[in-house]
Amino acid sequence: MRIAATLALTLSISALHAGFFSTDEPTPQVKCVYSGTDGHCVEPVLKSENELVITVIGQGVAPSITASPAQAYALAKRSAIVDGYRQIAEKVAGVHVEGQDSIKNLMLTSSSTRTSVEALVRGANITNTTFKEGLCEVEMEIALSYSRFSR
Amino acid sequence: MRSRNGNRPFVFTLLTLILSQGLGADEYYIGYRLVAKNSQPINETITVSKAMRPCIKAISPSTLTLIRTPNESLESLLQREQTAFLEFAAHHDVHIKNNETTHPLSSQSINVLTLPSRCFAVEFNDELVTITPTQ
Repeated sequence: MRIAATLALTLSISALHAGFFSTDEPTPQVKCVYSGTDGHCVEPVLKSENELVITVIGQGVAPSITASPAQAYALAKRSAIVDGYRQIAEKVAGVHVEGQDSIKNLMLTSSSTRTSVEALVRGANITNTTFKEGLCEVEMEIALSYSRFSR
Repeated sequence: MRSRNGNRPFVFTLLTLILSQGLGADEYYIGYRLVAKNSQPINETITVSKAMRPCIKAISPSTLTLIRTPNESLESLLQREQTAFLEFAAHHDVHIKNNETTHPLSSQSINVLTLPSRCFAVEFNDELVTITPTQ
């Protein structure tokens, strides 16, 4: 009985060591690109059987000189809508990134990054709008489906 | 007495007349462009042009109704209600273009939103204007 218990203990310790110090590849983790409405990570994979809903929050600021608070709100909201569409385009169509660094005598003299996005978006909806202290936030969502892409 | 085949053009013409009278709508091409720099709108353009040729093939079920002051033109009405029109028309097609430049000490972002010119059926009443996109 004692021998069996000792053997079991030895085996369990060795198995524990193998688990801790193994050099195997780590299991692949799903990268969270955006969060769902409940705050949990949602893997954005478009499948034929279900729709993929992308939610973004666009932000816009009113110009410093406006005729009235209503005009400030209207202008900030329009700007926020544009920002929301940009974010949708970034997530769906992707971003073109171009960087340029200049080095002279082994020293960095200038550095610039340019990003550009261009897309035609159809069927996005505004779900919520908030305006606080000159900042307008517009929550937008777009539902992607196979049928929409096949048009 | 006409034959059954001979009545078809007549019936079709009658139906077209009834529909056009019942609809009572004018057709306009409306386009919109908004430029925002660093999250602030800097330029906004709305273009309105009456259609020179009939463009209604089918009417979309969604409709925008705006309150109109007496003798107010469609262009001035849309200038006043640009946000409402943008939210309404943007549901269909929106072209978005963004350019962002980042330097170590500065960053600049320019967004251009364009609603491509599209035919709308516009119905004028005394106090209301109903705008319906066509397909």
